[in-house]
Amino acid sequence: MLVLGIETSCDETSAALVADGRAVLSNVIANQLDLHRKYGGVVPEIAARRHTELIGYVINEALDVGGKTLRDVEAVAVTARQGLVGSLVVGAAAAKTLSYVLRVPLVGVHHIEGHIFANLLSHPDIPLPHVCLTVSGGHTMLVYVKGYCQYELLGGTVDDAAGEAFDKIAKFLDLGFPGGPAIDRLAAKGDRKAFAFPRPLSRARTFYFSFSGLKTAVINAFKDQLASGEALPLEDIAASFQEAVVDVLVAKTVRAARQIGVSVISVTGGVSANRRLREAFTDTGNAEGIKVYFPDLSLCTDNAAMIAAAGHARLMRGQVDDLSLDVIPNVPLEVQHAG
Amino acid sequence: MRVLGIDTSGYANAVGVVDGERVLADFVFQTRNESLSQIMLNVDSVLRETGLGLEDIEGFGTGLGPGSWTGIRIGVTVGKMLAYGTGKPVRGISTLEALAYRALDCGRLICSIVDAGARETIYAAFYRGGNNEVHQAGDYYVGDLTGLAGLIKEPTILVAADVQKYQKAIGQLIESNAIEALESAPSGATVALLAAAHLQSGEHDDTLALAPLYLKESTARAFVNKYKRRAQATP
Repeated sequence: MLVLGIETSCDETSAALVADGRAVLSNVIANQLDLHRKYGGVVPEIAARRHTELIGYVINEALDVGGKTLRDVEAVAVTARQGLVGSLVVGAAAAKTLSYVLRVPLVGVHHIEGHIFANLLSHPDIPLPHVCLTVSGGHTMLVYVKGYCQYELLGGTVDDAAGEAFDKIAKFLDLGFPGGPAIDRLAAKGDRKAFAFPRPLSRARTFYFSFSGLKTAVINAFKDQLASGEALPLEDIAASFQEAVVDVLVAKTVRAARQIGVSVISVTGGVSANRRLREAFTDTGNAEGIKVYFPDLSLCTDNAAMIAAAGHARLMRGQVDDLSLDVIPNVPLEVQHAG
Repeated sequence: MRVLGIDTSGYANAVGVVDGERVLADFVFQTRNESLSQIMLNVDSVLRETGLGLEDIEGFGTGLGPGSWTGIRIGVTVGKMLAYGTGKPVRGISTLEALAYRALDCGRLICSIVDAGARETIYAAFYRGGNNEVHQAGDYYVGDLTGLAGLIKEPTILVAADVQKYQKAIGQLIESNAIEALESAPSGATVALLAAAHLQSGEHDDTLALAPLYLKESTARAFVNKYKRRAQATP
């Protein structure tokens, strides 16, 4: 079954063709980074306007690159839950219209479910059940993946998403947007033990995360250093901050896997491209006898291939949406498609 | 030429079908916040009403706004994808022009008005009618009613939804009884009629490039500036 996936939940306009939930024929991603960079973050109205301009071109290119025509499309999957409402609306309007015109099934997908499928696309043999950590600029979510389309939410963030903390610290240190890659690069040259930043909630029994206090601690350390007149070791600050985030993410995810009794961890989302995060997860996994999977780099950030794959899995389980599909900006993963 | 027209610039789905200059259907569905969830169901039900299938439609018209920003994004995206999916042409129509067209033969200057949703702000434009067409006179106007009243120098008819409040306010501002009013909301059939006139002459838009008529980029920038100031205040 050839599924056209559409993803516009934040600032990436993406369309993809995925065959049988496995083979990515195309995965076109138009990112808007240049548009938002000068503001140090995604501006919702600007993102929604850009999606509207780009959506047709991106879908058309996904078909071109995949060597298919609209008549070959057998279903349309779209991110309908979790994201910026103005952005979600554009993708959903396009998906509904194409589903109507082409007379093919429509399926709305939760954005986080898409990220979970990024690893299933990259590693078709990834064992289930497993624990999946999705970390990005908009999300930090720990999910117990019991099977295809069977989830239990273990925890999320109570304030900033992990990637958001990266963005905000990068902005404070004037490193540019998005902050993840900038901090990753700078931290590689720094001492990650130079500053003892807090590891919020890392020992707490909850699987919820908090990065707001860590952000404040980093900013205060920076200001103290500035006031003391000593040289500012930006690399050390970046490395120590990154290490604190990585420590918390690894500790909680590994603890979740142990507590549930699974020996497989999947890490997805934009922050899963971070080199130190991959290294720390792999090292800890090796020490603990846990296998850790990361998606191909092209599937880490928001993309429509993962949405098409998730949509395919839902369709295979008989789940279809009708033309009244609406978007929901904020909804937990586990309550969707009750029954 | 059979043309399907939609306009979702307000809190309604306006959907209509015309065959050349003949209106086959014209429906306005009050949707409030359900514009997205209802639009395709409404398109489908209007087509059923006319007894036509999508394959009988030879072109599409879509209201570009101005109006609700999310609303016009829905209408433009649906219009664009209907055209792209069927391979038929599309023409975008200014919602203000479509409103003005309702007063085509009034013999005076036509001023169509759309509420901008923000305090005191309206979108407006002036048109002159004749020969079954309206032609825009001057630029689009974005601002308050006082500013708009200052632009009215001759007998004028206002066309808008909830038009009496504008008639009353402008009548007081320019102390004139020369202001007439026509109550009218966006109509799918009017959008389709205007689109059909263009499409019959081969004047269609570039389907993939079709974009809304926001008219208020400045507010987006103002928002961004506020965002920047806030970001500077609390790093």
